[in-house]
Amino acid sequence: MTKGYLHSSRKILLILLTWSSLFVLSGCWDRVEINDLAIVLAVGIDKIEDDQIELTVQLAIPSQMGGGKQQGSGSGGQGNKPTITKKASGTTIAEAASILQQRVPRRIFWGHNEVIVFGKELAGSGIREYVDFFAHHPEPRLRSFIFVSEEKASTVLEVIPNIEQSSSQFARELARFQIGLKVTLKDLLKNISGESRAVALPRLEYEFDNLNEKKGGLNINGTAVFKGDKIEGYLSDKLTRGLLWVRNEVHLATVSFVPENEERYMAFKLLRSNTQLHPEIKDGKWKMTISITTEDDVIENQTNMVLTDPKVVAELEKQLAGEIDERIELTLKKVQTEMQADVLGFAKAFAQKYPDEWDQVKGNWEEKFTEVEIEVTSKAYIRRLGMSTKPQGIPEKELNEE
Amino acid sequence: METGKISASQLGCMMYPVVIATGIVIIPSITAKYAGQDMWLSPILASLMGILVIVVAIKLHKLYPGQTIMEYSVSIIGKVPGKLLGFIYLYFYLLMNAGGTRIYADFVTGAFFSETPLFVILATIMLVSSFAVRGGIEVVGRSAEMVVPVYALVLTILCLLLIPDLNPKNILPIMPDGLMPSIKGAYTPQSWFAEFFVIAFLLPYVKDVQKAGKWGMISWIFVVMGFMATNLSLLFLFGGELTDRFNYPLLDAVRYISIAEFLQHLESLVMAIWVAGTFIKLAVVHYALVIGTAQWLNLSNYKPLVFPLGFLTVLVSIWGISSEMEAANYSGTIFPSFSIVMQTCIPLILLGIGILRKRNNSG
Repeated sequence: MTKGYLHSSRKILLILLTWSSLFVLSGCWDRVEINDLAIVLAVGIDKIEDDQIELTVQLAIPSQMGGGKQQGSGSGGQGNKPTITKKASGTTIAEAASILQQRVPRRIFWGHNEVIVFGKELAGSGIREYVDFFAHHPEPRLRSFIFVSEEKASTVLEVIPNIEQSSSQFARELARFQIGLKVTLKDLLKNISGESRAVALPRLEYEFDNLNEKKGGLNINGTAVFKGDKIEGYLSDKLTRGLLWVRNEVHLATVSFVPENEERYMAFKLLRSNTQLHPEIKDGKWKMTISITTEDDVIENQTNMVLTDPKVVAELEKQLAGEIDERIELTLKKVQTEMQADVLGFAKAFAQKYPDEWDQVKGNWEEKFTEVEIEVTSKAYIRRLGMSTKPQGIPEKELNEE
Repeated sequence: METGKISASQLGCMMYPVVIATGIVIIPSITAKYAGQDMWLSPILASLMGILVIVVAIKLHKLYPGQTIMEYSVSIIGKVPGKLLGFIYLYFYLLMNAGGTRIYADFVTGAFFSETPLFVILATIMLVSSFAVRGGIEVVGRSAEMVVPVYALVLTILCLLLIPDLNPKNILPIMPDGLMPSIKGAYTPQSWFAEFFVIAFLLPYVKDVQKAGKWGMISWIFVVMGFMATNLSLLFLFGGELTDRFNYPLLDAVRYISIAEFLQHLESLVMAIWVAGTFIKLAVVHYALVIGTAQWLNLSNYKPLVFPLGFLTVLVSIWGISSEMEAANYSGTIFPSFSIVMQTCIPLILLGIGILRKRNNSG
């Protein structure tokens, strides 16, 4: 009897002990509830004085985010924007962030930061010192997208976008289209200390629909080219396209040009494209062959050409390739001779194929880069005509059927 | 002393995390530092040490069946030198386990729980491992059998999810400066592979000991594959130079995963396998330490030693290592040399003397 009693009391004790460990499991110094976090969506860094920077963060207001749009639901109108921007200045990002923390009642959390914008002034004086924070701090991710602002970075973050929930999301989605460059923090870290010592970053512009309410939109307009970590110059939108072709990052593209013996334009939509760099060193002469293969669809035809004839299409393919070549050469000229910044990935291509020769020119690659002879050979294939075979709206007899 | 038995396959499962658990998180960075874009080659070179050590341990066990290294070192080189050597081994495995615990805790505090005291993290994992050890070798073996397949699966999935972001061209140029950089890069990982020598403490408790060699090799192959997969993924993602700049490149890589905007923030998986793997590693090495100490002291039961030695390990890992930098420095330079002496050279010498002795006895 007594033995059985003891046994069951031990059992109860054991169960109690097991349950009590639940309390221990929940206790942990780093426990943070989600409603104690201020989630950073985007960071902007501007230079204000000599070694002072201004840090702007865009914080999410969770109650205003949530699924779907709030149009019509409840009060509506102004006042309930889903993000808020806060600023602080300091000599380091960490210092500015801790000053910022004094003004935010929740713990600033970097883990969901997706956009980093550098102001124009900072880009002019060097961004290296301010990249490090994002690789040192345990929270930020290497997948954040990097931009250079047209003016102040803070203005970009303050834009309340007319579409999308936040300007951070706006910029991120634009980058993802790859109409302009798409550079993540990982790419930046890799290139800034990489072989070429040159970095290209997308340039972010803003336009206000309504200046008082700061409503507006963003757009990626061209590229900022950095030598080392300082800005060297800008590439226009058109030249950026050439850069994308060379770097094999073209994703969405339309090419329109006037075919030979025609008056009006024809437009092609890119399906896929592949670029290969073939470096070559012969008798001390450095040469780079860029070969591009693209596949396109006809998407618009303003001419009166009928495209059902394979011979016509073959001729068009040649012209299309030539058009692409021309665009690339414009970019090459600007980047190679004017800026002398190797944002094309040549350094890496040479270093990979000719490691010994590379070791010798490593120190003065900038000089050598300008001497590299470049040949562009593109090949274009027109795969389909879209939904129309003949140009629309032209009487049958005026069509140019060869 | 130990009445439980494990199977050879359980032995294989136990050895896998011993090598890989702490290895995959800190080794790639160390390897990349010396080998650059040849960092994928280093684990292959280093793995040769693994084979050597497994063969030596199994040969020694064949000469003296049913004995651990604590026992046959006495039979081989005599009572006093044997006991002295045994003590040095215990000291070595105590330091090794303390180092391993410290690497674990530094990662957890550095990357996730920055405010939690180091001692709490060290003590909790040691406590869990000690419970497993107290339960006997069967408990350790079965936990390994349970954890390891999940571990390997998660690691594989993580590497697969990285594929869209990989650029295989980063591997070029292959060996521009010859084999030397990758040999230098292999110097630290070889000491991790040499940890296979822990089987010298476990072989007497293997049921089907004739299969131990086979399962040792299977475990070895999976370890090599694990290292290759992580090193190649990191190389293709970051390149050699950037990998070297990160403290825990695997964590950074897994954070980089983003599949369709949806499958991201997967670092909790790294944390999960990190904790699970380290648990097994610590338990296995701690078991070796405890059973070795018991044999060294000629005790009839090893269980009373489990918690005191666990506590000692935690203390050594706090007091012996003052910072994360010191720990990295220790595991990058001192430990590999120490390991070559303890886990490669001395066992080889023991094997040589042992073979000569047996021949003389029979002759």
